[in-house]
Formats: sequence, C-alpha cells, structure tokens
Amino acid sequence: MSAKPGYYGKILNVDLSTGKSETVPVSSRDLDLFVGGQGLGMKLLWDRLKKPGVDALSPENPLMFIPGPFSGLPVPSSSRTCVVTKSPITAPMASDHPHASTVTYSNMGGFFGPELRFAGYDGLVITGKAKELSYIVIDDGKVEIRDARKFRGMRTDAFDKAFLEELGDRKFKTVYIGPAGEKLVPYSSIIHTAGRAAGRGGSGCVMGSKNLKGIAVKGTGQPSVADHERFLAALEKARKALYGTAYAKSWAEQGTARAIVGNSKAGTESVRNYREGTFTEADKIGGDAARRDVWVRDIACFCCPLACKKSGVTKGKYGGVVHDGPEYETGVMLGSNLMISDMPGLLKAITVIDDLGLDQISTGNVIGFLMEAYEKGMIDRKFLDGIDLKWGSVDATLAMIEKIAARDGVGELAGKGVAGLARHIGQGSEKFAIHVKGLELAAHNIQANQPRGLSYATASRGACHMSGDNIAMQNRRAMLDSTGMCFFPTFEPALEEPMLELLSAITGHEYDKKEFEKAGERIFNLEKVFNYREGFRRADDRLPDRFFEDAFTIGAKKGAVLDRKEFETMLTRYYKDRGWDPESTKPGTAKLKELGLDFI
Amino acid sequence: MTTENKENRRGVTRRDFIKGVGVGGGALVLFGQFGVHSAAWALSGEPALKMIVVDYGKCTGCRTCETACASRNRPVSVKGKELPGLGNPIHANIRVHSFNPDVDVAGVCAMCADTPCAKACPVEPDPRGRRAFYRDDATHTMRNDEKRCIGCQSCAKACASQRTGVIRPNPETGRPEGMCTLCGGDPQCVKRCPFGALSYVEVRRDRKFYGLGPEKIAAELARNWYGTTSFGGAQ
Repeated sequence: MSAKPGYYGKILNVDLSTGKSETVPVSSRDLDLFVGGQGLGMKLLWDRLKKPGVDALSPENPLMFIPGPFSGLPVPSSSRTCVVTKSPITAPMASDHPHASTVTYSNMGGFFGPELRFAGYDGLVITGKAKELSYIVIDDGKVEIRDARKFRGMRTDAFDKAFLEELGDRKFKTVYIGPAGEKLVPYSSIIHTAGRAAGRGGSGCVMGSKNLKGIAVKGTGQPSVADHERFLAALEKARKALYGTAYAKSWAEQGTARAIVGNSKAGTESVRNYREGTFTEADKIGGDAARRDVWVRDIACFCCPLACKKSGVTKGKYGGVVHDGPEYETGVMLGSNLMISDMPGLLKAITVIDDLGLDQISTGNVIGFLMEAYEKGMIDRKFLDGIDLKWGSVDATLAMIEKIAARDGVGELAGKGVAGLARHIGQGSEKFAIHVKGLELAAHNIQANQPRGLSYATASRGACHMSGDNIAMQNRRAMLDSTGMCFFPTFEPALEEPMLELLSAITGHEYDKKEFEKAGERIFNLEKVFNYREGFRRADDRLPDRFFEDAFTIGAKKGAVLDRKEFETMLTRYYKDRGWDPESTKPGTAKLKELGLDFI
Repeated sequence: MTTENKENRRGVTRRDFIKGVGVGGGALVLFGQFGVHSAAWALSGEPALKMIVVDYGKCTGCRTCETACASRNRPVSVKGKELPGLGNPIHANIRVHSFNPDVDVAGVCAMCADTPCAKACPVEPDPRGRRAFYRDDATHTMRNDEKRCIGCQSCAKACASQRTGVIRPNPETGRPEGMCTLCGGDPQCVKRCPFGALSYVEVRRDRKFYGLGPEKIAAELARNWYGTTSFGGAQ
C-alpha cells in the first residue's frame, strides 16, 4: 500500500500503560479530508473517544502531537506542531456527562514537528499512563520509554539542558512539562526549546496525567511530494514572496511585541483585567523598549524568514536570561493586564511562568482577576496567603505564580482558573471572570472589537485568540493550523498563491482559496460536533458581563462597550450562516453531508 | 523630542555593539587558539581561500541553509531527470548547532590551509600526491576518494580535535561526509539565507572564531550576549 503523497500514511502510537509502541496506519481519506495538525488531531480524537464525558486526565484521553504536510520540507515557516487532546479546563454550563469538555488544540513553533516527520511519522499519539514519571525517546523507528524520576520537579529551563545531556546528542528535539504539569495544574503548558510553548488549553496537564515528563525525537528521513518539479518552482515563489520584504523585516524587528503599543493606542488591548483597552504605560513594555534595553538576538523557527522570537538579558533585581519576549500575548497578559510596566519585572514573570510550565495567558488572566477581587475587597490578604496582590506589583505576581504552579494554598484554587475562582468567591465576581467555557481570554480586548468577541465566544477550545474574527477566517485558521505552516507569514498576500501551490504539489490534492477554506470548515464542524456531543450549547457561547457593562473610561475607544442585543443578533446570524441550528447550535445534517462528515 | 532621538541613537549603538560581537572584532580574545592556525596559513604560501563565513549576530538558527545545502548536494532523479532534492537537513554539509541560552552556531568547513584532516589520512598518496582524503586543487574543497577510503575516520577525528568538527563519518561505512563543496562556486546556503548571515568571501586568517568548533564559539557568544557560559546539553 503506497501512502498518499506528502505523507507517510502512519502515526506512532505509544501506550504508556503497557509500554508498547507501534505504528498505526492513517487512511488516505482521513489525510485528504483532515490534512494534519489541528484537523487530523480532531479526527483521531473523534475516532478514539467514542463517547462523551471521558475524563481528560484519564489514560484513555490521547495526547497528540501532529505536524502537517508542510512539516519536514523546506517550506518557509513550516515549523508548527499542533498538540491536540481533550481539554482538562473547559466545561459546559450543563451536561449529562460529569467530565464534559471541549477539544483543545495548541499550536507551537520551533523544530519538533519537522523532526517528527524526519523520524517517519505524520503524528505522535500518546495514550495510557506510565507507572512512574517517564520520558519517551524516538530515534527514527526506535522508540523507548525511560525512567524520568530523577527529573521530578525540575523546571523547564534546567530540564531542557539536563534532558539533552542525558540523551547525549544535541540533534534531538525535545518537548517537556515543568513542575506545574507534574502537579496537574489544569492550565499547564508543554514547553519546547526554551521559550516556545503549546500553552493554551491544558495540554501540559494532560501530559502530566500520563506521568510523562518529556519527549525527544530525531530522524533521518523525509516525506515525499506528489510533484517534485512543481514543488521546487512553488518553493522558489514562496521564498520570493517573503525574503527581504518590508513585511518580513518588520517581524524580525519587533515580532508580535510591536502590537503592545499599537493595540494600546487602538484601544484593543487587555488592560487591568479587561477593564480598559489602553495602557498609558505601554511604551515601557513595548517592542521599542525591548529592542533598546533587552533583546540581543532575533530567533527563527524551522525555515522561517520572519524570526519573530527574541532572546535577551536583563539586569538588576529581576535580572537574567530572557528566552521569550516580551511577545504580544506574554507582554500584555503579565504586563498591561496586571498594570505592570517594569520591563525586567515583567520579563521575570514571563520567564518564571515558562520555567514552571504554566500557560502565560491563563496565568496572567487569573492573577488579573485576583487583583481586581482584592482591590474590590471581595477577598482579603489572608485569602491570598499574605500576598499583597496589588495592581502593578511584580513581587506579588511572582509569589502568586509560584503558588499556582505548586498548588499551594490559594494556588490550589487559582489553578482552577477564573471560572472556578468566581464560583468560590461569588459576590458578583463572575462579571469580571474573563473566560469562555472555562478557558480564559487572551490579550486582545473586545469592548471595541465585537468581531473578536464573536471569535472568542464561538471558538472550539474556549476563548481562543488563534481563531478568526468571522466564519471565513475561522475556517481558514483551522486549516492553516492543520498544514504545519505558521500563520504569521500568511498575512502577506503575495504568499497566498505559492502557499496553495505548494500544498497542491505536496499532497496531489488541488487547493485553491475555496478548497482551502472548505477543508477548514470541515475541521471546524467536526470540532463543533465533538463539543455538541459533550453538551455545549448556545448558552456556552457567552461572553462575560464586563464586556456589556463596563465601558472603557480612557483611550481612543473611550466609552466603547458591547451591546448585548446586537451581539445576540450577530450570534444568531453566525449559526445560520454556519448551517447550525440557532437555538441548540447543532450542526445541520445537510451541512455535515456537504462537508463529507456523514460518518458522524 | 530630543530625548527620544537620543534614546533611539543609544539603542542603535547598543544593538550594533552586541551584533558586532558576533562578527569579528576583539580578535585577541581567542588568539591562543588560532595563533597556530594563522601561522599555518602564512607558511602554506597559498593565496587566501574563499569560504563560507557566518555572521553569528545575524544568524537566527532557522536552518534554511541546511535544507538549501542538502537540496543542491543531494540531487534526486525524477523521471530520469536530475533535480535538486527536497533538502533533508541530515545530508547537509553546513549544520546549525543550537544551545541554551539561545545561541545558534552554523558550522561549515573552514577550508584550513594546513588541512589537518588530509594529513591524518593513512592511505598511501597516489602518483598525484593525493591521499584518499585530499584537497581538490581546482575547487580548493576537501574531497574523499570513495574507492580508496578505508573508513578509518582519521580525517573526522583530526577535524573534531583540531578544528571545526564538520567532518562526520557515515554511521555505516565510516567514510567522511559533511565537507563543503562550495556548490561549484555558487554556495546555496549563502544564496538562500533569509537573513544575510552567510557570505562567500576571502577569509582573514586572524578572523575571530576561525576554525573553531561550535561549542567554543557558542560559549564565547553566550558570554558576550548573556553574560553566562553555562549551557547544558551534549555535543
């Protein structure tokens, strides 16, 4: 049986309960319909979890690392791996199933996805639970599960070094969890080469539940392509669309951090627990300041001509090596959202969060919520184990981060996220508990950005900043995150045609813009079907009251607030346009059939 | 306004300084290591050779060079036509070594004038004076005569212990791989680097980092950039 071009036609399945690993075929039809990454991950999850309500932390829940058809080929920015699993964080308002939750997917750059394909796999699926803390080594066809007990509790930066030292070969690409993941903090992240992360949605917690500390992979192979000459020609065009352009240079210059000042000016930044959209001190933590005072290097993921990642160093009380940022999300969630404008302090918080293996976005959101509840007198210092959690306090923020990762005292409760905290605290705090379906919002604020509000409300994993602001963009993003390509270069219009050409040349399946979005629509719909089966309904596609009640008091969008009626009308239209029932949100059979999802 | 300008200027200066550390300058720091090396150059009487030079301050570690190298130097036959390959980095002669804290060192043949690799080859020279491992007089690149090579790995060992360590013995045959071919005078790594970090130029014999292995270069860069020399990991 020859595999579909562009693929091996197989994934690696490692069962940590039995210690057995085997390659499992993936049908050409599944690859054709679900492509890779987020899409193929969703299909594999659907196939494996045949009933709703499976506990995300049970051995049954598969933890999947899925690259895409671009991965392992020298396509610009083809660095992404999607981590797909069932979420340990989200929950519907009401459900017949005790452990109901959404699918979750978290997309990371770096080198892991390409290396997995060099090793000969279209994906890695991990099931079961190891008896003791373990790590997995994949060296082409050789797979081993080894004891990791001596690394227990090790922070990610130290483990990054210790792991490679133990492996004895720098060619291995590694992912791992920190102490937070080991302790099953729900919003734990998976870290890859210092500063890259599959952060959102709790994949690190699922990894921890499997007693899995790390995974190392290296390989010598490479996938084939359907049309070699066409591929080379399209590759040439793709490089030309990006290399040396002002667009690429602007990414290298500031990465996503440019938006820290830009979005603050535009009134679309998360500030003071989403109370405002503008941070008057944004320039102190923005890209210009970081370039001037912190960054020493621009860093790129596999074959990426953008180099948006930065490393640097800070001095003083909070001084040290900085792997990560500030980026837009990290800089805003730990900066303006907490009213922190001290750059070294901000970077210390970001560094420690990565080091402990927590999600930057949820952590920043949770601390912002607690700061507001403390300011409002809903909780006192005793509740916070003595931490004086005032707006802008770096020391208090650092203390809280450690508490969360250790599940110590107030950290146990804070680890449950803002939804859990608001339930516990009550007193109307749920109005400013900024989450959708239990997943905290990211660094884009929405009083003055209704389309993004719709995106947060309807995205498949809860409040997701990676989904699009309308149906077409949601579909497109779902597909992009299935290909292995990063979405940053794809804002460049000149890349569109060569990108589609490359995908067609690799897979032998002809993609134009329409076909590309159609694949994304299929993926998005299967995610919806999965979530619907778990019990998620229209009431779960809600936004916190703050966005309808607390108009901005400062900045360019002063006075901005969402209108509830308008938002509901927009939602109804959204479901109808999707071909879903506007009351229950159930996808219609006609739509599913049209998308080739008739196996449901 | 004046303050802002001043700050900007200061910012640029600092950045330029940091970047500069990755290129050259301060050559004395490592003089001990390449003093011998440059003496070899002087004695060899050869004209300066052109080679691939890495600007470590511009390199982002993206590994596009590896894929470009492999694509050119590992062509494939498609329907009877020889075409550039898909660029599997495992076959690249230039290799990016990554460290923590974030330092990436692209390692490539230093085209040493005194060729310790060729001198280590135990195979009897042929009538033209060539051992199995030798320098090609036309291209100045290092080459291996597969027919005479005994796979003893002496060349790779010499390179690893005395210079950059780019020569890798093939895991099965023991024969050397990883020597830069200069792609017939049009090095693809240079051409494809998205960041202009590579150039094909005549080398200065006393150039900083010349002929050093990636670990030594990385240690020096980490010290200059981050003020630390502690990175873990293996070779």
